Amino acid sequence: MSSPFLALFAVFFAGPLIYSIVLSLRSPLTGAYTGLLNYRTVLSDASYWNAVVRMGYFGLVQVTVMIGLAIVLALLLDSPYCRGKKVFALVYFLPYAVPGVIAAIMWGYLLEPDLDSALGVPHRLGLTSGPLQPLDYRLALYAIMLIVTWEWTGYNMTILLTSLTNVPHEVLEAAKVDGASELSIAARIKLPMVRRTVIFVVVLSIIGTLQLFNEPVILNEIASIGSTFTPNQIIYTTAFAFGNEELAAAQSVVLAAVTIVATVAFYGIVRRRMDPFAATRAVVK
Amino acid sequence: MSAGGRLRGPVFGGSGTAFARRAKTTGTTAFLALAAVYVLVPIYWLVVASSKSQSQLFSTQTFLPPAHLSWASNFKGLFTFENGDFRWWLLNSFIYSSVTATLAAVMSTLCGYGLAKYRFRGRRVIFVLVVGSLMVPATALVVPLFLLEHFMGLTDTYQGVILPLLVYPFGVYFMSIFSAEAVPDGLIDSSRVDGAGELRTLWQISRPLLMPGIVTLFLLSFIGTWNNYFLPLVLLGTESRFPLTVGLSAWVSSISSVGAQPIYPEIILGSLVSVLPMLVLFPFLQRYVARGLSFGGITGE
Repeated sequence: MSSPFLALFAVFFAGPLIYSIVLSLRSPLTGAYTGLLNYRTVLSDASYWNAVVRMGYFGLVQVTVMIGLAIVLALLLDSPYCRGKKVFALVYFLPYAVPGVIAAIMWGYLLEPDLDSALGVPHRLGLTSGPLQPLDYRLALYAIMLIVTWEWTGYNMTILLTSLTNVPHEVLEAAKVDGASELSIAARIKLPMVRRTVIFVVVLSIIGTLQLFNEPVILNEIASIGSTFTPNQIIYTTAFAFGNEELAAAQSVVLAAVTIVATVAFYGIVRRRMDPFAATRAVVK
Repeated sequence: MSAGGRLRGPVFGGSGTAFARRAKTTGTTAFLALAAVYVLVPIYWLVVASSKSQSQLFSTQTFLPPAHLSWASNFKGLFTFENGDFRWWLLNSFIYSSVTATLAAVMSTLCGYGLAKYRFRGRRVIFVLVVGSLMVPATALVVPLFLLEHFMGLTDTYQGVILPLLVYPFGVYFMSIFSAEAVPDGLIDSSRVDGAGELRTLWQISRPLLMPGIVTLFLLSFIGTWNNYFLPLVLLGTESRFPLTVGLSAWVSSISSVGAQPIYPEIILGSLVSVLPMLVLFPFLQRYVARGLSFGGITGE
């Protein structure tokens, strides 16, 4: 019963994966085996590492803000102070149904002073020397953060909310009987209990950040923010604009390695700090 | 519990805790509403802007509807610009998504069910492969995939886009756990005792129990394919085979070229048309989709 899946898995997943490693060891000029030459090129490519570092910074700021917001929204929807839980949960989740390309087009045009007259308001009030330019290359990174946060906060919130719903009722009741406030229930019981889920959505977000492609590509068409903004843009340009598939394969393999290192490092950090929650977790189990 | 909801009359006449409760409810609702505004503003803008002509886009207030709605002429422009390519993109997105989602759901179900309900040699290896491949960034595969498909003559074809998307390790993982929980082993055994073959057991006994999971997988794969950009961008060259995402991004980039036609209304209305069906259906689908997503979160370590 597994054979149709396995056949396709071999041809369209395992095959390309192995092929990308083989390809990365070949010379772009002759196609002959060149050892680690392409990797040396990648390691000394400043624009590639600029893009990787840019994504590191992006991840630190955007993932923190987004997951923080998702946690707050999920806890509020799960609290007794919430009215209209179903409607809010639906609204937050809507962007999941919007392709990244379309999200980038909407926000890109909304952040363009020519199309969005609201960006000219500070200028007309005499506060700035011209209309706001959020897609200026110095601000473009933050514009992408705004878009990506818009796209994925509700998705993460949805995962967290489902996990919160599974917190055993008896535990919450016991805390209430003991006179715990809603805030301390949220911070000391609910949050530690969904800790694994929080770690899971952070890991997904780190992987997603390092693969950022759609939004910068579209914003580059709208406002020329640059074609080397993210590692994936560079890989695309190397392979399909310059036709250097061998170097692009090496860039892909390095990006995959960076992703794995970042994920493992994050796990390492959270594992070490896991102890404060061990007691609560023992109670739950 | 329900004091906040039922509270009426002068607040200070009530107890202090009732007042505090009401303040917290108001504060919570205000914050939630603010977040909802963030989500809804661009969607609202898209609807309003899609009703504006080229000149209205650059002359009217951004968030207010124009004096004369230009939807009719915008729709005409959208479906006739460049030989009406947009109609193909809409149809293509639908074909890619529905074919991919159907086949991916069936294949993932067969594989996941097989892993959960049968003990066979290599079972553990397959499971490790499936879970391991969840961690491979998809983009690491795009360049070699392009070259392999080029070699097989699959680039710039419908099957070339669909086949790689059928490999859906998350679907297999999801279905293996879903079948383990949804279909009791005893039920399968008694069906065998009654003399039913394996396929008949799967179809008549297990399928109805697996149906909610299959629907979830279908939706996740459909939305994922509908939203996909990188893969079709790399694999396709002929405009009439583009899905909506690739087609619209081509229009966006064509605007910036010299002497290009200003087609902002077409792009904006085209964007609305590509998200509207899913947004309208979403209230009915949300439950199924959410179940699939949270699956990884609960068991995903």
